[in-house]
This record gives sequence, C-alpha cells and structure tokens, in this order.
Amino acid sequence: MNLLPDITQGASSFPLLTLLVAIPAVGGLVCFFLRRHAAACRWLSLISTLVVLALSVVYFVTFSGQGGWLLYEDYPWIERFGIRYTLGLDGISLLMILLTALTQVLAILVSWRRTFELPLFFATILFMEAGILGVFLALDLFLFYLFWEVMVIPMFFLIGVYGHGRRVYAAVKFFLYTMGGSLLMLLGIIALVIIHAGQTGEITFSLPALQGTVLSPETEWWLYGAFLIAFIIKVPLVPFHTWLPDAHTEAPTAGSLDLAGLLLKTGMYGLIRIAFPLFPVAAQASLPFLAVLAIVGIFYAAWIAFAQLDAKRLIAYSSVSHVGLMVLGLCAWNQTAVEGSILQMFNHGITTGALFIMVGMIQHRAHTRDLDSLSGLWAKAPILSAFFLFFALSSLGLPGLNNFVGEILILIGAFQANPWWGILGMAGVVFAAAYTLRLVKETLWGPPDETPEWQDLTPREYIVLVPLAALVLWVGVYPAPFLEPIREPVRLMLEGGIFTALNGGTP
Amino acid sequence: MNPLLLFLILLFPLAAAVVNALLGTRLPRGAVVATAVGGVALSALASFLLWPLAAGEGTRATLYTWMASGDFSAAVEIVYDRISAPMALMVTFVATLIHLYAAGYMEEEKDYARFFALLNLFVFAMLVIVLSDNLLLLFLGWEGVGFCSYGLIGFWYFEERNADAGRKAFLVTRVGDVFLGVALLWLFALTGTLSISQINEAAAGFAPGTLFLLSLLLLGGACGKSAQLPFMTWLPDAMAGPTPVSALIHAATMVTAGVYLLCRLFPLVSLSPEAMAVIALVGVATALYAATCAAAQREIKRVLAYSTMSQVGFMFLAVGIGSVSAALFHLFTHAFFKALLFMGAGCVIHMTAGENDIYRMGGLARRDRLLFWCFLIGALCLAGAPLTSGFFSKDGILVTAFASEVPLHRFLWGAGSFIALLTAFYTFRLLYLVFLGAEKRPVGAHRHHLPGVMRWTLVPLAALALLGGLFDLPPLYGGGHALREWLGPLAGIGPHLPHAVEWLLAGVATSIFLLGWVFAHLRYRIAPAPGESLGARFLLSGWWADRAVYTVVVRPFGSLARFFWKVADGRLIDGSLHTLAEGSNVLGEGLRRLTTGRLHNYLTALGWGGVVMLAWFLAGYLL
Repeated sequence: MNLLPDITQGASSFPLLTLLVAIPAVGGLVCFFLRRHAAACRWLSLISTLVVLALSVVYFVTFSGQGGWLLYEDYPWIERFGIRYTLGLDGISLLMILLTALTQVLAILVSWRRTFELPLFFATILFMEAGILGVFLALDLFLFYLFWEVMVIPMFFLIGVYGHGRRVYAAVKFFLYTMGGSLLMLLGIIALVIIHAGQTGEITFSLPALQGTVLSPETEWWLYGAFLIAFIIKVPLVPFHTWLPDAHTEAPTAGSLDLAGLLLKTGMYGLIRIAFPLFPVAAQASLPFLAVLAIVGIFYAAWIAFAQLDAKRLIAYSSVSHVGLMVLGLCAWNQTAVEGSILQMFNHGITTGALFIMVGMIQHRAHTRDLDSLSGLWAKAPILSAFFLFFALSSLGLPGLNNFVGEILILIGAFQANPWWGILGMAGVVFAAAYTLRLVKETLWGPPDETPEWQDLTPREYIVLVPLAALVLWVGVYPAPFLEPIREPVRLMLEGGIFTALNGGTP
Repeated sequence: MNPLLLFLILLFPLAAAVVNALLGTRLPRGAVVATAVGGVALSALASFLLWPLAAGEGTRATLYTWMASGDFSAAVEIVYDRISAPMALMVTFVATLIHLYAAGYMEEEKDYARFFALLNLFVFAMLVIVLSDNLLLLFLGWEGVGFCSYGLIGFWYFEERNADAGRKAFLVTRVGDVFLGVALLWLFALTGTLSISQINEAAAGFAPGTLFLLSLLLLGGACGKSAQLPFMTWLPDAMAGPTPVSALIHAATMVTAGVYLLCRLFPLVSLSPEAMAVIALVGVATALYAATCAAAQREIKRVLAYSTMSQVGFMFLAVGIGSVSAALFHLFTHAFFKALLFMGAGCVIHMTAGENDIYRMGGLARRDRLLFWCFLIGALCLAGAPLTSGFFSKDGILVTAFASEVPLHRFLWGAGSFIALLTAFYTFRLLYLVFLGAEKRPVGAHRHHLPGVMRWTLVPLAALALLGGLFDLPPLYGGGHALREWLGPLAGIGPHLPHAVEWLLAGVATSIFLLGWVFAHLRYRIAPAPGESLGARFLLSGWWADRAVYTVVVRPFGSLARFFWKVADGRLIDGSLHTLAEGSNVLGEGLRRLTTGRLHNYLTALGWGGVVMLAWFLAGYLL
C-alpha cells in the first residue's frame, strides 16, 4: 500500500516527522493556556493524540516491508556549534512511535474523568509525548539530549503533583536518578564532540559523523560507560532500578502507563541507537557483563515481585524482570534475539500498560490496590476480570499471546550466543508464573467481599481495553507485520552500519 | 482429500470455545451446551472421516509461518499419522462423552459458560499437542492445557483452596515445561529446525552425551505434565476441580501428554539406552509411589488420582523398555476405563450430595445398579481382571519387560508385578468401601437425583473399557496385535516369547489380580475401618511430599523474596542512596548556615580569608 507516494523520494518537502513532534507540543501549549476550559482541553488532547496515532499508523502501513531509513529531516539549527535539527525514522523507531502514539491516546482516555487541574494534566501528557517521540526520532546528539530532558520534566510533575501517597518522594527519587544518569551522558556527549572536533576540525553533534570518531580504547570505555549508565538507569537494570517501583506505585494510572510503555523503552532505545553504534568495541566487550546483570535482574526482580502486597508495585517489579530479558536479548547480539528484544519492547508496553490500566480500574472501584484486601473480583465484575486474566496470561508468556513471541525469539537467540543464557532465561518463566499467578489469585479468586455490586466495564473502558487485547492476540498469533519493519535495521545495526545508509545514498 | 481439512479437527473446539467465551453469558444454557458438545463432537467426526489421511506415511499440512526471524522460523504445521490419528480420535471421542456428561453434572451451575469455554479450549490445546508437527506449536498446546487446567481446577474459585490447587497445577507443570523449553532451544541450535519429523531424522547424528541430556530434558517436561516423580504433587490436589474436569484432564488426556511426547520423539529418545533406563525407572518409581498412596486415600477422587499417576507410570515404563505400542495401548485403554471411573465417581458424589470420603459411603450397589455395573467394569480393568482391556494392556507392558534381554528389564517386570498387586488391592478396597457393605450415612432428604445423561454416557465407555483389549489383542488370544501392526515401524520393540512362557505370565498376572482381591476382601469386606497408624498417615499425605516441597522450596522462596525486597532493595540499595541524599542534605544545611545574610559575617570571613591567603603566599615566599 502506498498512501504517501512522494515522501520516500528525496528529502521530503513536507516535514512529516516534525509534524509528529509538533502536534502534541502545540496541543500541550494550548492546554496550558486554556487552563479554565477543561472540556475543550479534554477533546483537544484526545484529538491531538488521535491525529498522531493516525499518522503513525499511516507511516506503519506505508513503510511495512521497506528497509533502511524511511523518513529523514535535516536543518541547520545552532550553526556556531554545529548543532542541527535532524530527525530520522527507521523500522525500529517506527515501532516505538506506534507504541507511543497508541499509549498516549490511552493515557488520555483513562484520565478522562479526572477533575483536579485537568488541562495541566493533559498538557503534561502531551509534552511528554512530544519529548518521547523526539527521543525516538532525533539523530543529532544535542537534539536527542534535549528531548531526553524534555520528557523527564512532565513525568516529574505527573508523579509529584497528580500521584498518590508518597508522590513527592517518588518524584524526587525519579528525578535525581535520571538526572544523575543524564548528566553523565551530557559529559559524554561534550567529550565526544570535543574529541571529534579535535580530529576533524569540525564541531558536530550528528550521530553518523560522531560514529567515525577514532577513540583510544580507554577513552572509548569511559565515554561508553557514561552513556551506558544513563541508559541502564532508564531501562532500568538491577541495581539501578529502585526508582521505578516507587515511581510506578505513586504515579497516576496514566503516569504508570507512560512509564512502563514508553519511558523504559527510551533506555533500551538509547542503547540500540546511540551507545552501541557509537562505541562498538566497548559495547561488544561489555555484553557479557550486561548479560549477567540482565539475568540477575530477571530473577531478583521476579523474586521481589512475588512478595509484594501492592498490585502496582508487583507489576512494577515484574517490569524490571521483563526488561532484564530484553537486555539479555540485546546481549545475545544476533538477528533473532535482537529482533525479539525490540518486539518485546513493543509487547511489554502493550501488556504491562494494560495491566496498569486495569489496576487503575480496579482501584477506582475497590478503593484499594492492597492484595490482601482484594478478593473474588470475578464474582463482582466478570468481564473486567476476564480482561485482567488475559493480560496477566500475556505477561506470564502464554504461547499464542504477544509476550511469548518476543520471549522465545530472545531465548532462541540467547541460547545460540551462550547456552546458559538461554537456559537461565527459560527458567525465568517459572518465576514469572509465580508472581503473576499470585497477582491473579489475590485479586480475582477467593470469596467476594460484602461491598455492593460493581459496575462491570464501561464503554470507555471497553474502548481502551479491546484494542490492547486485539494487539496482544495479533502479535501472539501473527507477529510478521511487527517483525518485518525491524528486520533490516537490526541487520544493519549488527553489522555496525546503521548510519552508513544515512551518510550515503539516502536523502 | 485436501490436507488442510485436518485443521478442522482443531477449528471446531476452538470456535466453540471462542463463541462460548465471548457470547456464553448472553446465550441460553441449551445453546451454550450444544455449542460445546457440538464443537467437540464435530471434531471427533472430522478425525474419524479424515482417518484415510493417516495411512502410509501420514499427511502433513501447513497453515502459515507463525514466526520467522533471522534463521529461525516456526510454522503452524500438523501431521496426521499412525500415532497422532488414533490419539486424536481417542481424545475427541472421550471428550465428547465427557462434555455430554458435564452437561448433566453442571446442571445447577450458574457459571456454565466459563466452564464450557474452558473445557472446549482445553480440548483444542490437547489436540494441538497431539497433531502438531512442530515443537513450538506443540509447546503452545502444552502450555495451553496447563492454563486450561489451571482455570478448570480452580473453577469453583470462591474457595481459596480450589484456586490454590489450580495455581499449584500450573506452577508445578510449568517447572517441567522449562525442561521442555530448554530442549526446544537446544534442538533448534543443533538442527536449525523445530519440525518434529526433521528432528527425529537428524537425531541419529547427535553425540551420545547430547542425546542423553536431551532425552532427560524431554523426560523432565513429560514428568511435569504427566505428574511423574518428582513433579507429581499437583495431581492429587487437582481433584478440587469439577469431576468432568478430572475425567478429561486427569485421566484421559492431559496427564498422558508426557507419554505422548516421548512416543512422538521416540526415534530420538530411543537412541540413548541410558535415558531409556531412566525413563523406565522414573515410571516404575512413580507407579510404586502412587500405588502405595492410593491404598491409603480416603477421598474417592484422590484414590483415582493416585491410581492415574500409577498407571501413567506404567506407560513411562513401556516407553522406557522400548515399546511405543505397549505404551499407547495402555494409554488408550486407561483413557477409557479411567474416564469411566471418574465419571462414575462423579455420579457417586452427586448421589451422596457431595460426600467424598469413602469411609462414609457404602452400599451404593443396591441404590443404582447401572452405575454399579459400569463402575465395576472400570474397576476390574484397573485391577487387571483377566480378559478386560486393562489386563491386556498392562500385561503387554509386563510381558515386554520380561521378554527383553536387558537385565534391568527383568527387575522392572518384578517391580511392575508387585505394583499390579497393589493396584488390585486398592481397587477392590475402593469397591468394597463405596458400593458394598452397609450405608454409613443416612442420605434421606439429601438424596440427589442423577441426571440421565450422566448415567447413560457411562455405558459406551464401559463397553470400550471392557472390549478395548481387542485393539491390540496378542496372538495368544487369537488377536493380531492390531495396534502394533498399524503403528508399523513406529511401534518399537515387541515381545517374542514362546507361547508356554506367555501362558505362564498370564497365569502369574491372574494370580496377582486374585491375590490383591483376596487381601482387599480380608481387610475391607470384614473390618472396613480407616487405619490411623503413622504409616497410614504417611501414605495418606503422599509420603509427606507436600510438606517436603513446602519446607525445601516454597518457604525458602518466600523468605528470600522478602529478604531481597526488604534488605537488598530496601536497606542496601535504597539505604545507601538515602545516606547519600542525607549526606548532601547535611552538607547543604551546613553550608547554608554560612550564608547568614549578615554583612559583618561576610566581612569577617573575607578578612580571615585574606589573612590565610597572605599567610600562604608569605610562607611560599619565605621557604
């Protein structure tokens, strides 16, 4: 299908990528100024996110099956420092953008009935969307860093202002953690640019150019380390994960959704797009160590998840466990495992996002997330419970649902890289079953409590859950449309040539 | 015939499950039941009509590529051949009867749509295991039956105990699944494919050590689903589910999935004599363990559960000594008579208004003759009464073991014969306590009406159980080993003994049966009181296996979880971060005190600073 005939030829005259970032940014600004008109902001936000979603779907459909860089924009920006405004879209970013756009529509929908400072709430969500989309598109390190920071600030307010109980603690912890990481990255960026300038005499922040920098092994290690820490805090890999459970638990539903669905993905994306291509030698050497951290993380976080008393915290720790597996897939460094990892980023966003949404729905009805207090929900709201069970099964990797596809690809690849990685990763599924079944048991089964009848799913809730469930099933049964776009970029990345295509023939 | 028609066998139960899951709550009960029964019955019909496709090399059909990435790809491909066709036919046929029975059994259940949807989905998943020609697709069915049994065992979730039993079944079998999963990864790394037929072809090229370990991994997976040592603890608890579930999952189908897996991959497994010995030993050990436990159980369904475990142990033994045909023969006859026994037990429980304890039953033979006769047939098969199907199939295994030239197998024959004695003993114990003697408990007003469909579905099963021996009747009795012949090259070894020895062995088997009966008669016909000794309690609790698992696995798991949470995460990581933050805070506070905002403080500091600097330069100048 070719809905956009001319955009693949030559530098597109119309800035289609900027459009993606600009729509939510403008929407957010308008919401910010229309503080008094909640209803208008509500619809405006929904429409902006829907337009972004529609655009991403169009891109997804148009470019399915094409390799290389699909869209590219490049304008000079701060010429004195060689900073350019460069956006590029390849299959990997395409999948992430689709996920982002979808997640933000849902974030708006699940927050539809909020009352407290709603326009500002939606403004933060829209700003965050702009930031995250920017992160997934930027090919200029300065621009990347800018977006990277832009997405953190709305999240800080989302948790700190709109969160639950210990929201300020959680927000500050989140902020300090990620700031600590990004400061290191900033130092790394500056150092790299200066070294590059020393070698070529040209100041530039462009990723393809910086990739050519000649680095002594020691310098490469230091710089790689700076980027690595910034990214694995965001991933987050054990032992840099303790901000996540607090942030998840205290954030409002939309915040948890964005954290799980998107923010965590930026860490993985940073590894794939920035850290590994820029410092290939150090990255290669670090993979076995990362794999150890990843495997420890899978078990450690699953173990802690099993003991949790708060449903949200349990899911948060399960997230840490799941991303461990994704990082393991990256460490395996072969086509199957890396494709599995990237697909799993998408899957995890869908499934874990859905679980957070559903815990929000349960909390809205039961006024608690405490697993000891919840019981017998199936008797009170069977349809809601069935959806919850469905997403829980997806999370524990039941074949036929989305997570299984990603997991098995990762494990197949990991086993080829190192049999023990595959074996240990496979053993992780028992742990996943242990905490997931505990979550299901404590909420759905057992005798229902005495409180009055519940309303089962409302139409708005159906609108949120049905697409997610459909995606869970679709990816589980027929993942080809989602694997196809990432095939070529992954191959290029493994060969170290992800940006060569950009230097050469493309726009 | 178009090979793709084979997918109809899978499609019908799946479609029925989807319909009932999505619309079941809005449809009238009759429509839900009709959909459920119809889905399975159509599947049985399809398996029957497509039988010609199984002849020769069998027929393969591929629907589409499930996933492909790099050099990995897995297709939705199924095979209808000499092993999968009879298995599919058996599964769908027994499942149809069980679905019919369930229509009666669940008559008063409000949440019937969920029940039938899960039951249909279960049949679908089981058929995926049976038909799959790809290990990954098989894994889908494998986990699918795990989930469905989870949902069905915990069907009556109001009681936490039931939900816990379901969870236990899922978790324990999933531990076994890890072994199968690792085998799958390894096999792909070795062969570059997950197609079962290609793997079987490639297996001859594997190193002996690899073959041994791979076979053990497959055995681990099989043990999980088939409730063999050491993954057996979930099965007795699984009896918390509704009885049709027990009949379907825990007698006829799911617990035999492990045996089936080993038969499917027999060309690989059989290449490692050491692994075969391990399989046989696991089978015998489980059979012995479960038989001793069965002899002490008080709940009717738990007796049957342990006996299932024990009989599946016999099937493992058969695989281990190298006879696929003996294993499958026993699998089929067992499916008939054990489904019959479970369904009979369901009738018994129904009649006694939910009573489970066999010591509080008795005299039911007089209350319902048809039920009694059907149950008796099932029990005789289980006990190995001569000329019943159970006799032929169990004897087939023992004779093959006896005839083998491997020294270990002669020993296994002895152990198997002893287990057969135990089996006869506990079966008659059950019969005496439930059906004979005096009624222990006044039923009176509680007496339940037994829906006709529950009673009449027993009859075809009873007929099959009685005559099932004909499927593989040995030449000794005028048969031609029909199943063995049908399986052809896939059948594995067979017994070659002089007729005189065979007669002798048949005589031994008969005496064992009679001996078990006599023991049971002496013990339970006359003094039917439960044992209270330590030994009895030991056996009743299944050799304290649950307690051991709890102490060794469950409790440490929980303690470690809390340790990681509270100590490692809480004190170590967050603790050091808090200390860091606290330190910065104190430092900041301290520095803040310097900025008092009073001019004279600053001037004083400026003065002192100047003095220190001057002193510094002076010192440098002078020294």
